[in-house]
Amino acid sequence: MTRRLASWLAVASLGLSMLVFATVDEGPPLSNADRAYSLAQDFACPVCQGQSVAESDVVVARNIRREIRVWVDEGRSDAFIRDQLVDTFGEDVDYTPSAEGVTALVWILPVVGGAVAVTGLGLVFRRWQRDADLEATDEDQVLVEQAMADRG
Amino acid sequence: MSNVALGSASVTVGAACAIAGIIVALLGILGYRPRWFADAKLLVGLMTLASVASVVIMERALITRDFTVQFVADNGSSQTPALFNIATLWAALEGSVLLWVLVLCGYVVAVVVKFRNDGDDPMMQWVMLTLFVVCAFFFLLMVGPSAPFTSFDPPAGYDGPGPNPLLQNHILMAFHPPILYLGYVGFTVPFAFAIAALVTGRVGEGWLVATRRWTVLAWGYLTFGIVLGAWWSYETLGWGGYWAWDPVENASFLPWLTGTAFIHSVMVQERRGMLRVWNLSLVVSTFALTILGTFITRSGVLQSVHAFVESQIGPWFLTFFALIVIVSLGLIAWRGDELRAPGRIDSPISREGAFLANNVVFAGFAFVVLLGTIFPLIVEAIDGRTISVGNPYFDQMTMPIGFTLLFLMAVAPILPWRKASGDVLSDRLIWPAWLGVGSMVFAAVVGARGWAPMLAFGLGGFAGGAALRQVVLATRRQGWRGLVGRTNGGMIVHLGVVLIAVAFAASNAYVRQGEFTLEPGDSAVISGHTLTYEGSRIVEYPNRVERKADIRVDGGQVYAPAISTYPFAGQTIGTPSVRSTLQDDIALSVLSFPEDADDAVVLRATVQPLILWLWIGGIVMAVGTALAVVPGRRRNPIAPTSALIPEPDSVEAPS
Repeated sequence: MTRRLASWLAVASLGLSMLVFATVDEGPPLSNADRAYSLAQDFACPVCQGQSVAESDVVVARNIRREIRVWVDEGRSDAFIRDQLVDTFGEDVDYTPSAEGVTALVWILPVVGGAVAVTGLGLVFRRWQRDADLEATDEDQVLVEQAMADRG
Repeated sequence: MSNVALGSASVTVGAACAIAGIIVALLGILGYRPRWFADAKLLVGLMTLASVASVVIMERALITRDFTVQFVADNGSSQTPALFNIATLWAALEGSVLLWVLVLCGYVVAVVVKFRNDGDDPMMQWVMLTLFVVCAFFFLLMVGPSAPFTSFDPPAGYDGPGPNPLLQNHILMAFHPPILYLGYVGFTVPFAFAIAALVTGRVGEGWLVATRRWTVLAWGYLTFGIVLGAWWSYETLGWGGYWAWDPVENASFLPWLTGTAFIHSVMVQERRGMLRVWNLSLVVSTFALTILGTFITRSGVLQSVHAFVESQIGPWFLTFFALIVIVSLGLIAWRGDELRAPGRIDSPISREGAFLANNVVFAGFAFVVLLGTIFPLIVEAIDGRTISVGNPYFDQMTMPIGFTLLFLMAVAPILPWRKASGDVLSDRLIWPAWLGVGSMVFAAVVGARGWAPMLAFGLGGFAGGAALRQVVLATRRQGWRGLVGRTNGGMIVHLGVVLIAVAFAASNAYVRQGEFTLEPGDSAVISGHTLTYEGSRIVEYPNRVERKADIRVDGGQVYAPAISTYPFAGQTIGTPSVRSTLQDDIALSVLSFPEDADDAVVLRATVQPLILWLWIGGIVMAVGTALAVVPGRRRNPIAPTSALIPEPDSVEAPS
């Protein structure tokens, strides 16, 4: 085993173990307040312009934050909280577009686009590589030598 | 003469000059007027004077509180402090168009000065024509639907409400919009050159070389403007966040994404003569997206914290946007044959291969942001439902893109052009890779958990290492010159990006927030910090009354978030107070002072690590951009690696 290979193996295994460690060891659990804050960012304040419940200072947003906090303290699920808010304020308070019906497009299109782009890129490179087996002609050689001579 | 009359006159003169400019440029193009450039210069001068005059008149009206001007009556107030009084210009739609036009005229003057000897060049005729058309559009906007100088008949003793309190609450408001506009508007210049290149058929590399500094400069302003906006939002809105995927934020981010793609892919074209259609498309998209963004955010079709009151400018912007897209696409299609790339990329593992990947990723990024921003409109058009797309969507979709970009940032700078061997890669990448793993270990030791932030720290260290390696090598070889020039400055920009990425990952992953109701003397503990409430006091300012809550942080300094009441605007807003250190930030804001309790306060505290590094990263990016604009070491022009691919029918652009 060369030193280079050993070095890369060490980097890779150390990096991977750090990732695994960071995934497995969860650290201190999220407090209810943190979960409530995170949830508040996922919902639009129903009366504000483009602000989330977490951002806004208006009374409605403050009340929703309080309600979310109560639900979190009661141990309710994210889905329950979402349904409650959507039932009360309408679908447009939910910042996460649903994955059903027309709205699913917003999730699907980027994935499809990404796949197409990667495939396209792969095809282009393959074509370029196939065409790349050109030999330099004598003329090319002369050109290069001339350029080198001019440079020196 | 009244400000209304003077202002309207100057706006009209400006519009007339822009239209005359279009005619002069056309006469030049048709060959009827050989001395067209002299006329054009004169018209640019007059137009700019008119624009400066209109801004000066509006500022005079604001400073003297001339409420006979509707704009001042709506947005001015005798109680606004001097600095914010000046900044009131860009606190509402009509004034921001004035500022936009001023910046635009500044750029046009710069173009005329820089290319003053190129009047005989057909390319310049089309450049000037395009610039005059853009100027005419904005001037006509001010003559028509967004007239800044309409008159108002103030009743005796009238005083205005002043600008939105949020816009007179922090010093950054004086800088964020003008700098952002310098970025937005700056992309007009490369756009004009791209159009001229297409029309004249000189689609080689000349127009790129002529405009590359302009592009980098505009990009730098846009970057810094966006960072300042995030900073402002963090310091003023008091919810602990700095980026909310608000439609207006997205509108500024979209041209940034395509602009970033462009300043990378442009190097492939300069070096290898490839990607011509792509680069033209990126320049056009960047400009078109600034117009589309303005349409989305200023027409009232989408809601946003930035949206001014609904206005009639929507159809104007939409028409202009359609015109830009149709003309550009038509031209690109028409020149299709000449735009075919003469070169090819030999290997995906090469600098140009990495740039290509970078561009695909940036284009995908822009697509996701654009889709998420306008998707509610699409759904409403299709089946009448109103939906929202926000944080969770953008976070999920952009995270993998961010990781990919960090990875590319690590690998691309060390890749040679054309082809790389495995050995070269391995030798050059091993130290950056160790730095990446080192940062992961360090992060784990100081308590970082979760795979996503950990991956971000690792890739951040990797990318930072690669950029540092280039900077060290360049400075070792060339001394201080190793810091200037596009490549070296670019690496400094990369370091700034890494700082922002790491700070972003850390602050998002480890944010802690709590809401506390405290009586004087009470303490609350959050994330290891003790906050002690010492009581509240009322402070009166000319434009507002603040009730401040004194909070002692960790037994040390006292911070005083407040509730501010602006009597003239009839609004009450929170004024947060932030304790920043290199390690973490505590953002404090008062939610309310409950009336039933004696001097109690409802306090919101947000603790986030590394926030300060976001702004430091932004400054590093700005410095890097400035260094990139300074001319670097000249390459030997006949060096075979740097020679442009010759084109028999291409003439160099004016320089």
